[in-house]
Amino acid sequence: MAEFSFPLDARPTLDGTDIAIGGNRIVARTDLALVSVATPLGGDAALTRALQDGLGLALPAPTLSTIAGEMRAIRTAPDQLLLAFPHPTPDARGVIDAKLGNTGYTTDQTDAWVILEASGPDTLAALERLCPLDVHTFEVGGSGRSMMEHMGALIIRTGPHAFWLMSASSSAGSFLHAVETSFRNVVTV
Amino acid sequence: MTQPFRIDGGQIDRSETLKFQWNDRWLSGHPGDTLASALLANGVRLVGRSFKYHRPRGIFSAGSEEPNALVQLRKGAAQEPNTRATVAELYDGLYATSQNHRGSLEWDLLAANDLLSPFLSAGFYYKTFMWPKAFWERLYEPMIRAAAGLGRLSKRADPDSYDHGYLHCDLLIIGAGPAGLAAALAAGRAGARVILADEDFRMGGRLNAETHEVAGKPGADWARDAVAELATIDNVRLMPRTTVYGAYDHGIYGALERKTDHLASSDSKPRQVLWRVYSKRALLTAGATERSIAFGNNDRPGVMLAGAVRAYANRFGVAPGKRVAVFTNNDDGLRTASDLRSKGIEVTAILDARKGETVTNTKGRKAVRSITTGAGATIPVDCLAVSGGWSPNVHLTCHHRGRPVWRDDIAAFVPGDGLPPGMRVAGAANGTMTLAHALRDGHDTATQIAADLGHHASTGIPPSASDDPTAISAFWHVTASPARAWVDLQNDVTTKDIKQSHQEGFRAVEHLKRYTTLGMATDQGKTANVLGLAIMAEAAGKSIPETGTTIFRPPYTPVPIGAFAGRARGKDFRPTRLTPSHTWAVENGADFVEAGMWLRAQWFRKPGEKGWRDSVDREVIQTRKSVGICDVTTLGKVDIQGRDAAEFLNRVYSNAFLKLPVGKVRYGLMLREDGMVYDDGTTARLGETHYVMTTTTANAVLVFRNLEFARQCLWPDLDVHLISTTDAWAQFAVAGPKSRALLQKVVDDLDLSNEAFPFMACTECTVFGGTPARLFRISFSGELAYEVAVPARYGDAMIRGLMAAGEEFGVVPYGTEALGVMRIEKGHVAGNELNGQTTALSIGLGGMVSKKKDAIGSKLSERPALAREDGLRLVGLRPVDKTRDLIAGAHFLVPGDPADMAHDQGWLTSVAYSPELGHSIGLGFLKNGHTRMGEVLRAYSPVRGGDMEVEVCSSHHIDPEGVRQRG
Amino acid sequence: MIINHPLLGPRDAAEFTYPGDASLIHRPDGQTASEEEMHDYLHLRDNPAGTHRELWYHEQGDRSWLVVTRDTLTHEITDVALARDVARAEGRSR
Repeated sequence: MAEFSFPLDARPTLDGTDIAIGGNRIVARTDLALVSVATPLGGDAALTRALQDGLGLALPAPTLSTIAGEMRAIRTAPDQLLLAFPHPTPDARGVIDAKLGNTGYTTDQTDAWVILEASGPDTLAALERLCPLDVHTFEVGGSGRSMMEHMGALIIRTGPHAFWLMSASSSAGSFLHAVETSFRNVVTV
Repeated sequence: MTQPFRIDGGQIDRSETLKFQWNDRWLSGHPGDTLASALLANGVRLVGRSFKYHRPRGIFSAGSEEPNALVQLRKGAAQEPNTRATVAELYDGLYATSQNHRGSLEWDLLAANDLLSPFLSAGFYYKTFMWPKAFWERLYEPMIRAAAGLGRLSKRADPDSYDHGYLHCDLLIIGAGPAGLAAALAAGRAGARVILADEDFRMGGRLNAETHEVAGKPGADWARDAVAELATIDNVRLMPRTTVYGAYDHGIYGALERKTDHLASSDSKPRQVLWRVYSKRALLTAGATERSIAFGNNDRPGVMLAGAVRAYANRFGVAPGKRVAVFTNNDDGLRTASDLRSKGIEVTAILDARKGETVTNTKGRKAVRSITTGAGATIPVDCLAVSGGWSPNVHLTCHHRGRPVWRDDIAAFVPGDGLPPGMRVAGAANGTMTLAHALRDGHDTATQIAADLGHHASTGIPPSASDDPTAISAFWHVTASPARAWVDLQNDVTTKDIKQSHQEGFRAVEHLKRYTTLGMATDQGKTANVLGLAIMAEAAGKSIPETGTTIFRPPYTPVPIGAFAGRARGKDFRPTRLTPSHTWAVENGADFVEAGMWLRAQWFRKPGEKGWRDSVDREVIQTRKSVGICDVTTLGKVDIQGRDAAEFLNRVYSNAFLKLPVGKVRYGLMLREDGMVYDDGTTARLGETHYVMTTTTANAVLVFRNLEFARQCLWPDLDVHLISTTDAWAQFAVAGPKSRALLQKVVDDLDLSNEAFPFMACTECTVFGGTPARLFRISFSGELAYEVAVPARYGDAMIRGLMAAGEEFGVVPYGTEALGVMRIEKGHVAGNELNGQTTALSIGLGGMVSKKKDAIGSKLSERPALAREDGLRLVGLRPVDKTRDLIAGAHFLVPGDPADMAHDQGWLTSVAYSPELGHSIGLGFLKNGHTRMGEVLRAYSPVRGGDMEVEVCSSHHIDPEGVRQRG
Repeated sequence: MIINHPLLGPRDAAEFTYPGDASLIHRPDGQTASEEEMHDYLHLRDNPAGTHRELWYHEQGDRSWLVVTRDTLTHEITDVALARDVARAEGRSR
């Protein structure tokens, strides 16, 4: 143990953000851990099996995400996944490693992203002002990386009127401002 | 507040009265009015002054093609110049003023220009303001600038906000006239995802302005019902007040939606939205625009397009005059007479050019009072309706360089080849000039498109309508006119200017445009271009097809710059990135600097410090004496994993990486393929297949891009994987002789002694009782130093914990300035030195380009000119007179040599005041520098007025042997 | 422009960066190539008025490098492939 005692409290980006705009809501999901998994060259089958056996997850197609229990797998690159799951302590990577063994290269990405859960009746209209992807035809569970107001973004439709909007944590303030402005610009009440 | 010219009928809501101000006079109108129709209803004829001659001008059209009635709308910061009164929707409290006059609109002092018109013809500026040369900047330009332009900007920040947006559809229908509505109904019923956009606030196009019947009811009623049906179809999106202004690649269209321009207040919502529309197909149903005929004094207020006269009478319930004459070359013009008569308006004459009847001149100072016919009769009128035929709105068909083709039968250009892929054209825009045909054309084309896209549901049948003839006989100008005859009203181009252009050799249409300004400015010659071309063709003795036409570029109508900017204004211009210790830094007096998108602490101001140098000197001294902490999170971090990660690193770094052991860090140098230095940083090996690379802050994105290129394109079968972890970890440099003692208090169960954790060691560990961390023993300051990283969410607590643990050592936070001072003292290169023109050899790292392997850039770094022994080398510099400050950018000269580039010896790249040495120090590039230690040179900066003697020394101003960092 | 990404479907070209000619894939080995060969690889490009094979990097997307076949006169895109697959097919490996 360190000889100097100091409470090292976690302060996740935008922790506590919960904004109501009309009937819509923007919440920062700071309860989720993120771990990326890269597929070793030639190891697709092994990783697919390990995901299934270890986590009960199907390998998502490139524009989709899959769910097992509280864990969601999102395809972020041809040979890369992102796993999102509730996990309070900073050892998420170890949790995944324990399940996948050496079938994938894992990296803790929890603090690299901010996740805004945007929901409500004006969500699609708000996203029209923000996202070049066709949010209307986006299926529930669908995912895509694009950009919003010059910031790289990962978008996942989690329900008919609910999306996760993810972006880099260092510019989280700008990202929240962009999302919030979009809602304020379209909200009718 | 009576409206003396208001008549019955029209699509305005008389139940409500709107008050508005015109040149500070209160007038009234109704919902459904434009500013133009309301002004006409109030008998206002004179609305502005022309561009060049300051001639009195009135409302000419009833749409976006308006060349004359440009006004300033709103006041204060929201003032908008050059707004077309014909498209400005009336709202309660609207404030508008006329523009382009000195003194009042009625008594414009610059109207004298009209008397000078013989001297102001085409090419006047080019010919007149040539000589003497010295007059140009001081006299001509200010004079021309003062006189030029129409409206005036408020010169204040735009108070409105603007937005961008993205829409996707199967079919974008541009224009909601009869063809567009029929098309939208067909495609919408078929099940296609349709966007129907129209620039007008009321859909229906000419149906609203004419008295035609459709499906057995008045056209305007059919349009209203069609819109109502479309509104019930889920897969149809109706976008009134939306101008599709440009056709871009692959079915992308630009559209401007005016959200709140028709409201007194935007209620803090964006005023306009610039949409990027992604369409699978597009159907242009933009209709046609009427053009005029050139005859003497055809620009007086009261001379209007015949179609506009009908629009005001039929749609807006306004009589454009009480005694109206009609001058036409086609049947459409004749409709005007019958429509007006049915409204009880007196039609005093119909002059049909097809029968040889013409108007040669008009009279009336501020509005037309009479016309003179070709037969010599003078007829009193207060309005003359002119129709020279209709020009299909082919603009968007030209945006991919498509060239319109001429059709003699309708005397107009229609879309030719080279349409934007996926675009079709229907209705009047395609030269289909009769109503029944246009409806059928729109319906059938949309049905085909929908089927083509797999939507086969029934589309119904096209509505019935009459096919009135439009027989036209081309007639362009009245040659017998005794006075100037206007072609382009907005730019004051007359028939004489066009003939002169021809005489002076500017005969190609593109030259004609530039020489006379025909077709420029806000209206882009919508009512003038064809007329001008025809007159040019006549002058050249050629046909119109032989003469050709200018083509159109976006935008179709003006788009405010604010709409293009969208939200990207002020601090929203780009994202702001904050480091994990930002809040703490704010609390502790930091001044911030923008480094790319990052805000970084520059220094931490203490009470009593007079300037930044005091703070920086203190931070440097205390760090070198004891310990300092700097947030270095902004450095790019790349997680590199894979069986071939070592091999990969060995190929992207110029120095060897194959044998870096686990638990060690190595400095790495990256070259560009041309051999120049690209970036540098450190890479740590955390495990057998796991590395963490750091890059400079500035190049983080670019290096990642290049690494992905190498991985995917150059060596696709290496097992190596990249992911950025820049934001995932909060990283702090802890530097200074007490850094070990400080960190020893912080890490859990880890021996930091020099033996156990030597220079360039690294490890994963935990801190403060279990929080995961990474520790690297690396030094940028030259001191005993470490970098410690924790997950970013602990960054705020970590800086507080480190500061608390360091209190007994007098720990200081330091910013980027102190970081810069210490790296210059130590002789480490940074952006100033790595400017893309330097080689490894020139920065003293020639040994880091391994000859034993192939890495990016290694081959071309061997080129003789780059490898020459007497080339530029990095050296240290200090002033001979230690009390003086070096000047960055100064060039070196051998004392006594002339100060010119032929004798240039190199330059100073970085300078700083070294608190440790007590004088100014610098780094620089010097020819053959490594052999010139101790030489005294002249450092000369004519730009900054600096001239002093400097002594060449080692670039390592302090601790050249590196004892401290290894201690 | 719109690039029909082989895995993701149509994407706005604004999500991509454009590094240029697809011949950049064919980097000579610096240990065996002559200086001239390396120079030509780095600097010499065809500038066709017509079909052009070029690299696009999906930087604001899935980080794929793509080889896009595009007509420089019309911007018509006739083929899009993952650059990694193209590189392998054209003989690059480790």
